[in-house]
Amino acid sequence: MTADSSTSDAPRRTYEPSAADRLRYARQGVRDALPAVPGVPYLFLAPFFVLFGVFLAFPVVYTLYLSFFEYQGVGDGTILWFDLGFTVVEIKSLASLEFVGLSNYARLFTDELFHQALFNTVFILLVQVPLMIGLALALALALNASFVRFKGVLRTTLALPVSANLVAYSTVFLLLLNEQLGVVNYALARVGVGPIPWLTEPFWARMTIVGAVTWRWVGYNMIILLAGLQNVPRQLYEAAEIDGATRWQKFRYVTLPQLRPVLLFVVVLSTIGTFKLFAEPYIITGGGPSNATLTIVQYVYREAFVNFNLGYASALTYALVVVVGALSIIQIRIGGEDDA
Amino acid sequence: MREADRREGVWQFLTYTFLLAAVALTLVPIYWMVVAASLPQPAFLSYPPRFLPGTEFLANLDALQGRLDFLRSVGNSVLIAVVYTLLSMLLCSMAGFAFAKYEFRFKEPIFYGILATLVLPIQLLVIPLFLLMVRFGWTNTYQAIILPWAANPIGIFLMRQNMKKIPDALLESARMDGATEFQLFYRIALPTMKSSLAALAIILFLFQWNLFLYPLVVLQEESMYTIPVAFAQLVGFQRVYYDQIMVAATISILPIFALFLALQKQFVSGILAGSLKE
Repeated sequence: MTADSSTSDAPRRTYEPSAADRLRYARQGVRDALPAVPGVPYLFLAPFFVLFGVFLAFPVVYTLYLSFFEYQGVGDGTILWFDLGFTVVEIKSLASLEFVGLSNYARLFTDELFHQALFNTVFILLVQVPLMIGLALALALALNASFVRFKGVLRTTLALPVSANLVAYSTVFLLLLNEQLGVVNYALARVGVGPIPWLTEPFWARMTIVGAVTWRWVGYNMIILLAGLQNVPRQLYEAAEIDGATRWQKFRYVTLPQLRPVLLFVVVLSTIGTFKLFAEPYIITGGGPSNATLTIVQYVYREAFVNFNLGYASALTYALVVVVGALSIIQIRIGGEDDA
Repeated sequence: MREADRREGVWQFLTYTFLLAAVALTLVPIYWMVVAASLPQPAFLSYPPRFLPGTEFLANLDALQGRLDFLRSVGNSVLIAVVYTLLSMLLCSMAGFAFAKYEFRFKEPIFYGILATLVLPIQLLVIPLFLLMVRFGWTNTYQAIILPWAANPIGIFLMRQNMKKIPDALLESARMDGATEFQLFYRIALPTMKSSLAALAIILFLFQWNLFLYPLVVLQEESMYTIPVAFAQLVGFQRVYYDQIMVAATISILPIFALFLALQKQFVSGILAGSLKE
């Protein structure tokens, strides 16, 4: 749906066939569809599908496969070997593995660190998503007000943080929030607050992650909501004004219901995004203090590439897939209910 | 009536205050980053903090380069992101053209199958991709970072949606004039896609620019680091040099800000088009 808004109708008009062309089509009896040319579509598709198959489809299946095994080390065996005459094809195994059935999945239920990571992620999410979407909505409403000038510049400036390198901005926040030397605590001290242990106390460390993520993504969500606001039919507001609706009533009974699909969309998007949080906690808090900001993806990274439990890490990843997928479905259901 | 005017005035004032506060909160960390990057470390660490930029930016950059070749990481990141963006645009628009303008067997199921992979988190792929790259002997190479995700589901979706709008009659008449099938794509379809391609380019560039977990795993040699991986090293060093990290952050963030401020329209349409994914 949003894809359509990115292109104007202009090209369509430009390429309307000329009168002479139309005459020619009529004479020659041209149909309004490209006749099939055998083989051609496959040539256009081939490069995409080679890369899609090797680097996307295969890994999706292989992660599932891995989740039933214990990783022993880099593979050395040969799976397939045949001689084509002019060349020899040999496919070697990727890893030496030991089959362990469902035990990786069973471990998910007893692994306290996983539960901690899940809890941390949900905690961050429950604070961060409402805060960010609320702010984004307020900003979108403010920017949509008819009296506001310099809309374009304000909009782009607020959205710029999306383009800030994920890891670079995280290090800026790391230094900004340093307990002794950070400029944030300095400013707070001037008004008699603090010092706040932004990075060393579990609650504040989580708030630090919330703040950083909100800084980066609020403008992004604002732009999507603003596009949604601009699609609300003007007549609805005019009708509400005739009925003497207050500002709040117009928001509550016109804007909110009209905007609900878009709001739901950004909530789903942000929820999924927060579930996949990695760079910020990795850089800013390192998952600490005492694992208070360890996220699921960070735990996957630790298990896979620090401890080399690739099998268990694969099971963890599929747990993430299930959680994210289920959440999207639930949220879409909730959003759809009142429509009836 | 005058009471209503007064309330409207207060409302407008509050709206502007809110917007300007948000702009300030957006820009303050960036401003402070530039200040910290241009002060000598001792001055920066003095308390109270300094709020005006100094003149030591190049000296700090020099010191940074002495510990880790950060400019090379910037070069790696730019090279990888640009090649990736171009390659992915080509693959996605070719495949999108096929889905939009040709008939072939299993067209719909294949297309929706590709689309379904959009719900999978990319973290799902990191473990097998790592094993694949070890097997290929591709760790510490550019292609290890460029090739995965070049076949991008969001790209093929965008291209197919927009290429459907090209009238068949136009392509047909070109074909009768003797154009080959590839010329139909290259000479006629692609030039009508400029705004969609610009939006897609921004989505792809930012995606690659921010990729962190996967390069962290696959790139171990300093000469191959991308910007995010270089940062992970800088933060991980025994002693953290604030001024140097801020120089690195400034180099990584400010040019892209300037670029998108100049390309406002494309940037916003890129965000809207890309909101389908993350």
